[in-house]
Amino acid sequence: MSVHYYLTLFPMEAMIASQLEPAAFGSYMAIGNRKGSAERLMFIEVFESELGDSFDLDYARRRCVAHSDGRMKNSVYLSVYRALEAVPVDAFGALWLITKDGRSMSLEQSSYTDLDTWDGSALYQELCPAHPLIVSALKPKHFAEYIVEDSTKVTMPAIFFADLTIPDFDGDSFTGNIGGYFDKMMEHLKYCVTELKDGKGKLTKVVDRSSFAAFNFQVIGRGLYIGTSGGRLVFYPMPSREELKKKHYDWAKSASIF
Amino acid sequence: MISLVIIAVIAALSFAVINYSVVKKKSPGNELMQEIAGSIKEGADAFLNLEYKVIARIAVLIAILLAVVVSWQSATAFILGASMSAAAGLVGMRIATLANVRVSNEADVSRSLGSTLKVAFQGGSVMGLSVGGFALFGLLLVYVVFGKLMGEVNPDQLVIHTNWLGINDIPFTMTVSGYALGCSIIAMFNRVGGGIYTKAADMGADLVGKTEAGIPEDDPRNPATIADNVGDNVGDVAGLGSDLLESFVGSLISAIVLSSYMAYTAIKSGNPINSELISAMIQFPLFFAAAGLLSSIVGVFLLVVKKASDKPHRELNVTTWVSASLTLVSGALVTWILFKDLDVSTVGFTIGIFSPWLAAVLGIISGIMIGQLAEYYTSYHFKPTLKISASSKEGTALTITQGLSVGMNSVFLPVVVLAIATIGANALAGLYGVAMAAVGMLSFVAATVSVDTYGPIADNAGGISEMAKLDGEVREITDELDSVGNTTAAIGKGFAIGSAAFAALSLFASYLYAQGGLNIGKDFKLVLNMIDTMTLAGALVGGALPWLFSGILIEAVAKAARAMVQEVRRQFREIPGILTGESKPDYKQCISISSAGALKEMQYPALISVLMPLITGFLFGPRFVGGLLIGTTLSAIMLALFTANAGGAWDNAKKYVESGRHGGKGSEAHTSTVVGDTVGDPLKDTVGPSLDILIKIMATVSLIAVSIFSKYNLIKLLGL
Repeated sequence: MSVHYYLTLFPMEAMIASQLEPAAFGSYMAIGNRKGSAERLMFIEVFESELGDSFDLDYARRRCVAHSDGRMKNSVYLSVYRALEAVPVDAFGALWLITKDGRSMSLEQSSYTDLDTWDGSALYQELCPAHPLIVSALKPKHFAEYIVEDSTKVTMPAIFFADLTIPDFDGDSFTGNIGGYFDKMMEHLKYCVTELKDGKGKLTKVVDRSSFAAFNFQVIGRGLYIGTSGGRLVFYPMPSREELKKKHYDWAKSASIF
Repeated sequence: MISLVIIAVIAALSFAVINYSVVKKKSPGNELMQEIAGSIKEGADAFLNLEYKVIARIAVLIAILLAVVVSWQSATAFILGASMSAAAGLVGMRIATLANVRVSNEADVSRSLGSTLKVAFQGGSVMGLSVGGFALFGLLLVYVVFGKLMGEVNPDQLVIHTNWLGINDIPFTMTVSGYALGCSIIAMFNRVGGGIYTKAADMGADLVGKTEAGIPEDDPRNPATIADNVGDNVGDVAGLGSDLLESFVGSLISAIVLSSYMAYTAIKSGNPINSELISAMIQFPLFFAAAGLLSSIVGVFLLVVKKASDKPHRELNVTTWVSASLTLVSGALVTWILFKDLDVSTVGFTIGIFSPWLAAVLGIISGIMIGQLAEYYTSYHFKPTLKISASSKEGTALTITQGLSVGMNSVFLPVVVLAIATIGANALAGLYGVAMAAVGMLSFVAATVSVDTYGPIADNAGGISEMAKLDGEVREITDELDSVGNTTAAIGKGFAIGSAAFAALSLFASYLYAQGGLNIGKDFKLVLNMIDTMTLAGALVGGALPWLFSGILIEAVAKAARAMVQEVRRQFREIPGILTGESKPDYKQCISISSAGALKEMQYPALISVLMPLITGFLFGPRFVGGLLIGTTLSAIMLALFTANAGGAWDNAKKYVESGRHGGKGSEAHTSTVVGDTVGDPLKDTVGPSLDILIKIMATVSLIAVSIFSKYNLIKLLGL
């Protein structure tokens, strides 16, 4: 039985070995064997061949074996912090988004193209290893570079983040199904975006530091990104609403997008 | 003219059979869809069989009592009424459980809103046409067999007779009241039993499945999801059908009974009414209803044969408007034919022969106005519901508070409409005009029930599409049809409540006539003395009764829902793999819980409605019961409007948020509106619809029994 390697990035950063296929692993992590947990999850399939020696793969192979009754081994933790920075970019496979009730959707990597339209600001939820909600005057690629660049005062070796849809501040009550993520911070968010657009040269502004746990798939805009030192950017585009409806309806419904 | 009724009945029932066959011939979809639909059908059939067994025992008891105390004719009519009502419920449920999967498949195959709407509507029309057809068929039998062949409507028989117990009544009024009571008893059980069933399942499925486990609506992993879909059929289809049939019959017999007593009073007052005129007044409601039924057939036919557009609300409205307009025209023709050679001034028709027709028109207009007001207060296109959804941003407490405010505000204007229509109808044709207003309001019931029944069929189709994992596009079609069904249901409830008010008023007048009994003479005045202590005490108790009744119903729903919640939690806990889809939930256990809860709890509220006027009558006499009826009618009308509109508004406030407002699904506003909807569910689907039946059962039982407890009661016995 082969061993799979998964890098979980949300809600916790960890490298996990498992005998389960990705969808089954996601379901197991989200809802457990019996009803008892219910949490959203994001993880990346990692190619063993590209992993190098950052993790103890011998330990993983030794421990990740079927139970005596034939059940497959669900999880063997190899690392529970600083895992993202230790995985080479070439080892990243598909990104899996798992809903609270265990529905899964995988996103494939795509080459990054710049945004078609740009109104001067974007909203980014940093997901791993730090978690602030940031409004930024930088486009995704530049934002990633800015975070991992050595010349920046505060940096990280790698960053996993999502760009979010900014609610229409001037419209009526129509927000789309964005959940409760912005419930308590709408006014503050509006203030931050306005301040950033005022053009005082500020590149980023922290909107919120603690709402990370309430992050949901409904607010993801164009997609999710991993920026690494050396300027490489891995881009996982989010399917359009039409595509979601056609190909991933159950997942999208479970994620309360429909 | 009687042939008009026969034609209408045959046409309606034949058209229903044709539509049934057409829907049945449609493909039921793939194997999984058929399996799901089979489980829903099995659950619905099993419940209705058990329910009818319970009802049959009680119905037989009542029939025996009627035969002994009143007359065998009344008992036979009672059985006939119960059979017609039960048949309507059964046919409705059969077609709904047949049509649901075919609607789902039509959406899948055609990907067209219009053609899917047509299948759903054609299914609903079987129920609508059966309600109109069965109601008139039964009444036609009563009229022909007891009225004509046995002579109960002969002028010399429209007088008070004294039976072997010394009880005084006009035989034909007792016979038709027996028929109405039979319809009402079944309607009460179907509404209450179905209401408890459907809400227990719905709440159980939502509270654990959706809220706790986070799984979407109608997800096959939810153990209560099949029970929820069964509930749509037993509550919203069988319950609704027998409820509207009862309302229709109630309105018709209130006019017939009133005419009979008016005739008798006129004779005793020394100003007898021309026998042809009396005969015409007794027949008029029947013929008007037949005209309405034929008009409804045309309205339904138009939608069935045409190429339906992708605007379901407009298509359904066209059916209703065409049916209503044709009813007005054909009703005028019937009026002219029936009354053209008669001097109607002696019965208080103030503007000539078209007075009762105009009263019926007033009924239709007021019904439509009440329906529009219901839409105003419950649709998210208008301020009241938008205010609730806006309040949801501030939390659950304000969502509930705002909903209560909307519900309470929504009572006033419909009641003003009813008051104005009552005054107008009375001014046109006296109390007979008021009774005709009720007849008018429900004369095109076949069309309104067709429109109403399409809603739960579409709802079920949505559930099947979801469980069978059909494409998102298919589920969007069924969801849109379902959402239109919510509005039509609110309008339908407005009609049922409004007609109940008119019918109760004319039944109440008949009650006062019957209370007068042999003492009716020249000086008889149709007056209820509200400052009489007994009457006032009765009114107080009557005013409180709908609250007690509603409290018992809500408690029953809560009890059954609690059991359901525990069962769903148990299954998630004890059956590994339900959420991963590796194991199937035990759907049958949830169905059993809903069934058992409904069957156990439905009997008390039904018994209250029958026993309360009898017990208080034998204890405190007819004046107390007079007050009781007025108190119950006033209180129940208000409460029914409040519960129907508050529940509808909460439901649509949630739907508005789910359409992507205030954060949409998953937001705090959504959580608050989900709680509001859950609170409102038993109000709008269990309590509200049962209250209009309560009014009519109490009025009919009182009418039948008044001459008995006028003679035998404790107060009289004690000489007080």
